This record gives sequence, structure tokens and C-alpha cells, in this order.
Amino acid sequence: MDAIQSEIHTGDPVQVGDYEIIPQTRVLKIQFPGNHAVLIWNRPKAVIVKTSDGQESTLAVRDITRVIIWSMLAGGLLGAMLIRLMHRN
Amino acid sequence: MTDEMDTNTPEDSGLDRFQDTMDEFLAAADVRVVYGEPIEHDETMIIPTAEVLCGLGFGVGRGGATSSEHGQEKPSQGSGSGGGGGGRILSRPVAVVIVNSEGVRVEPVVDITKIALAGLTALGFMVGMMFRMSSRRHALPSVNE
Repeated sequence: MDAIQSEIHTGDPVQVGDYEIIPQTRVLKIQFPGNHAVLIWNRPKAVIVKTSDGQESTLAVRDITRVIIWSMLAGGLLGAMLIRLMHRN
Repeated sequence: MTDEMDTNTPEDSGLDRFQDTMDEFLAAADVRVVYGEPIEHDETMIIPTAEVLCGLGFGVGRGGATSSEHGQEKPSQGSGSGGGGGGRILSRPVAVVIVNSEGVRVEPVVDITKIALAGLTALGFMVGMMFRMSSRRHALPSVNE
């Protein structure tokens, strides 16, 4: 078994009216040596929507909060570096 | 009458228990953990989604020693074992899947508190750097001195 595993899991379909919804998740598993510690990060990836007439589409589940947080932190770090560079010159 | 003996040491049973806990813990990788039960309201169905982050660790150990005190004919022996562990599960809503007569759409859940904290941290980086730069400039000795 690998120490770091990234998998995509597909759940049971849910029938809602004319739509069949199939949930998908992305799982990151990290097992530390000796199998005495494990870290699991399970997050939604997408939902596959199937209509009664056979059409299939995939709707991605985006984590807007995480995108904003990382952008802000990256911006802060970049801003701090720019301030340092400007003061040097 | 049966003469059954439990050959498992306390350490082994402890390890088994930890292994069971670990197996239960690995179930956190299941899809049903991330997608909640559908909630029906009028003609709309809502499926909440969340990200789940969990960590678990444990350790066991044992040791033994033999005393060799003077005056004792036979050295006494002792041993012991112990273990411990801990874990944490964090969950955060990510989005909701909304199904109605108009179709299916995914609406994100925006956590204002976390964004505000990240914004303050980013601002802190920049303000801290500005203070550091300005204090260094003031600390420089002048040419006359």
C-alpha cells in the first residue's frame, strides 16, 4: 500500500425527479510509516447529472472559500515581498 | 468444560482495538461522509456537501527490566506496556447541490469568517514588513555621527 494515495470515489446515484445525480469525491490518504498514523482529506469533486432522455453532464464542485483564502495569503506574501524590494531601492 | 486460554497479551488486544479504530477511521474516505442526506423543500431538493479532514495517530510500547540488588538470591524481573493515541476530524461546508424543475446547479458556500481571518493575516504580513523596513531605516547611523 502506497504512503500517499489520491483516489476518486463515486457514490450511489440519487434519483430526483427526472434527474439522476451521481456524487464524486476526491480522497487524499496519507499513511505514515508503521501504519500508526493516517491523514484523510475527503472533498467533493463533482456531480454527474443524467437526465431521463440520456443526456449526461458533469458539474464541478468548487471550493470558493479555499480559493479566496489562498489568493489572499499569496497576495499578502507577494505584497510583503514587494514592500521589501521597494524599500531596498 | 473447555480449557480455552486467551493467548493475547494486553498489548495485542490494545493493538487490535487501535486497528479497529483505524478501520472505522478509514471509513471517513467514503462518499457518504462528504455528501449529506438530501433535504426536500417544496419542489426543490438540496444536497449539502462538505470537505472532511481527519487525522489519527497512535503508538504502543513495552519494556522490561531485571533488578540485581545485593542480597537477593534470584534477580527480580518486571515488565510493562502502554499505548496512547489521538485524532481529530474537521468538517467544513463547501457547496450545496440544488435540484428543481429548472435543472441542477451547484451553489458554493462562502465562509466569510475564514476569509476575513485570511485577509487580516495577509494585511498583517504587509503591515509587519512595512514596520520592519521603516524601523531599519530609522536605526541607520547618520554620516555626521
